[in-house]
Amino acid sequence: MPTGIRDYPARAREIIRKDPLVRESVTGATIAFDEKRRRSYAEIDAEAWRRWAEGVKNHTLTHLDRYLTEAEARLEANGAEVHWAEDAAEAREIVMELAQRHSVRDVVKGKSMLTEEIDLNPALERARIDVLETDLGEFILQLFNEPPSHILGPAIHKSLQQVRNLFTEVLRTDSDADPDTLAQAAREALSDVFIRADMGITGANFLVAETGTVALIENEGNIRLATSLPRVHVAIVGIEKLLPRMTDLAGFLQLTARAATGQPIGCFVSLIQGPALHPEDDGPEEVHVILVDNGRTDVLAHEHAWEALRCLRCGACLNVCPVYRQTGGHAYGYVYSGPIGSVLDPGLLGLHEAMPLPFASSLCGACFDACPVRIPIPELLLEWRREAQEAGLTPWKERAALAGLAGMATRPGLYRAAGKLGSRLAGTGMARSLPMLGAWAEDRALPKPSRRTFRELWRAGIE
Amino acid sequence: MTGRERILARVARATAGREGLPHPGPLDVPPADDPAAAFVKRFTSSGGEVVEPDPGRPAGAWLTAFLEGLDPAVAGVAIGPEVPPERRPRLPEVAAAHAGAGVSAAWGAAADSGSLILPSTGGRAVQLLPPVHVVWVPEGRVFARLEDALAELRKLDEDLPAAVGLHSGPSKSADIGQTVVTGVHGPGRCIAVMG
Amino acid sequence: MNVALFVTCLADHYFADAAADTVRLLRHLGCTVSFPEAQTCCGQPAYNAGRQGEALRMARHTIGVFEDADAVVVPSGSCATMVKKFYPRLTGGTATLADRTFELGEFIVHRLGVTELGDGLAGRRIAIHQGCHALRELRLESEPATLLEGCGAEIVPWEAHDECCGFGGLFSVKMTAVSAAMADRKLDTLPEIDWVVSGDGGCVLQLDGRSRAREMGVEFVHLATALWRGAAAPGGAR
Repeated sequence: MPTGIRDYPARAREIIRKDPLVRESVTGATIAFDEKRRRSYAEIDAEAWRRWAEGVKNHTLTHLDRYLTEAEARLEANGAEVHWAEDAAEAREIVMELAQRHSVRDVVKGKSMLTEEIDLNPALERARIDVLETDLGEFILQLFNEPPSHILGPAIHKSLQQVRNLFTEVLRTDSDADPDTLAQAAREALSDVFIRADMGITGANFLVAETGTVALIENEGNIRLATSLPRVHVAIVGIEKLLPRMTDLAGFLQLTARAATGQPIGCFVSLIQGPALHPEDDGPEEVHVILVDNGRTDVLAHEHAWEALRCLRCGACLNVCPVYRQTGGHAYGYVYSGPIGSVLDPGLLGLHEAMPLPFASSLCGACFDACPVRIPIPELLLEWRREAQEAGLTPWKERAALAGLAGMATRPGLYRAAGKLGSRLAGTGMARSLPMLGAWAEDRALPKPSRRTFRELWRAGIE
Repeated sequence: MTGRERILARVARATAGREGLPHPGPLDVPPADDPAAAFVKRFTSSGGEVVEPDPGRPAGAWLTAFLEGLDPAVAGVAIGPEVPPERRPRLPEVAAAHAGAGVSAAWGAAADSGSLILPSTGGRAVQLLPPVHVVWVPEGRVFARLEDALAELRKLDEDLPAAVGLHSGPSKSADIGQTVVTGVHGPGRCIAVMG
Repeated sequence: MNVALFVTCLADHYFADAAADTVRLLRHLGCTVSFPEAQTCCGQPAYNAGRQGEALRMARHTIGVFEDADAVVVPSGSCATMVKKFYPRLTGGTATLADRTFELGEFIVHRLGVTELGDGLAGRRIAIHQGCHALRELRLESEPATLLEGCGAEIVPWEAHDECCGFGGLFSVKMTAVSAAMADRKLDTLPEIDWVVSGDGGCVLQLDGRSRAREMGVEFVHLATALWRGAAAPGGAR
């Protein structure tokens, strides 16, 4: 999949300068999410929960082949069909084949980042299948024809007024309608789609090996509907989503909700073992689970980055991230944005493809404190930076400057002379033509060097 | 080699040199002293409603009056197959898509998460389509922790229902301008009847 | 107590007066201060850029320079973090320098056990910018407020006090627009105050640079200078 990642700095600049509403909406929403997360963590022994969750995920990821085969066997025993997809193209082909097998014309979707990752909707649309996103935020973005900007709140970058204008045009609501009225209009537009649809497509938050349970968290109820009413349910699941035991879900369902929205648990959780059993009144006749690799085994094989596979896709690191808050997700150019995107994308896509994301961070460390599974995001960013330097993926001027600094810093005499010269130059009009200071001066006044350095003051004697 | 075999081989290779880390065991959160009270507190703080039936009246008659007293008054109901005869309201039964309320029976509830546990054998459309969902919570079936409830469910093993829903409040969304709205897709009111 | 000062590059060249105030403050509190002249850069620019080899060379140099020091005081949360948290990672955990190094506020509160310096900041309204490294790597949160309040200052709550200013070294010149927007978030939420105080020169360069570009007239004061002013005024240190 071609990405726009390499344009990150330019796109971020454009969003900040030309579309200030994005920064305003994203900052406001993420601060609100993060405050709820903090309050919710404070209600529990968050440190103990996070360490426990980290431990369960580490156990699972170091025994992943065993749990994948256990889940597969159990799902099949439950009457579900299990498929394996090595990459995005294979995952799409499996879905298309299922759609053809069942003569599917209408698909309802639950929110799923993995279906964004594998570019599923365009493939279905090319086959003239109607795909409807049923999560309210995703529905809005489908109307805007935009990708999600946030793992959890896909339309986080849109203001109320923008949604109002859209709905006035598309759903004929009043131009001053309140959110309740707008939601009601969306509900009406989506009201019979679940009954009409032939197939429901979702992702999964977890897949429990011992019971073959696909677990899905949501607040709206659209996922419950999409997995209950259509004849066929297809769950597209990343291979890292495994959990060993049903009881593990208790901690993970609650911790995910607390990290994501500050709720004790999502309003609706679906625990799906397989197709409807007789004599149930309703429920899908077929359940298909597609296990997707698409780069995950590469991440798993990486000495350090494998820890990023613990990710629950809660969005807590995005919410707390001061870098993400300035632009939202679109600047990043790929489906996974923010801190987790900057460590996951290099593993999934290859470091070369994901440059310069490992550098799109001030390393402030807020993401680690928020992460419910304690992914050491700042350390992983540094690791990717190290690999980028070794592979020569950073600008040569930058490498030369840093090598020069190291050379001087181990020769105190040279360091003193060069430091003095450098800081004096930085204070003059020449600074703007120097590579790094020129960039600095685009948005900031130049630093003012002290009249005398500390060394000079020390030698003169400090009173 | 199939795709499945290739993926599993890559997983095995990726983890071969890595120490297999142990499962840390249960999370072991201290359980609430009074699970029923803890459930009510959590469920209502998430926007759910809790009512207790009038002990002086037959359950079905009480529920009939309760549903008729809602605003708007419920005319037609959808009733899940697992609701016992004495707990069924005496109102015209209609398809879930047209019902003013859905009535179902929970398998149990979890206090710490404030969740009603609803098996698919209780009928999914009933639980999801009507704007109001009224759920009978059988006495003595409130587990202190979701973990305990899931451990109990797990014991059903081969008899696990095809799907289990945890409902912990009304349907809501904050996707429009970060303002919370209720009743987006699923029921806008979720009412637990205790006892 | 014998204390070696690790002045750091930015303080040496841009905050020389704050570095001198560090010396004055430490002497005032009864310390004998030395300044090993062979000291250079802690290596953090290289470390954060992913050039671990060069960072390690600089770390070894610094470890050598301070080999004999009983205690090393750093008027920078970020450079202190480099020595205390990242040197052990780089050298494989052999850096005892980490245990002997202290950020300035940390040293005064935890090593000297002093929280009341004087009343020289009485009536002064101060917002504290908490540098990320000191806050989240060293878990130093209350120390600056404790010390400034101990000088009589009024600490004014600032909703963005613990958010990153957007400096991040190389980040500020590689991602300039985002970096500047991060500074704006800090500046635009500032309450009515006399000074913004920070224990990190890098953060001050960033916030002050952005504030001056926007002609906001905010006064930024290094923690060392603020504390020395607090201690030196009549009333003295206790």
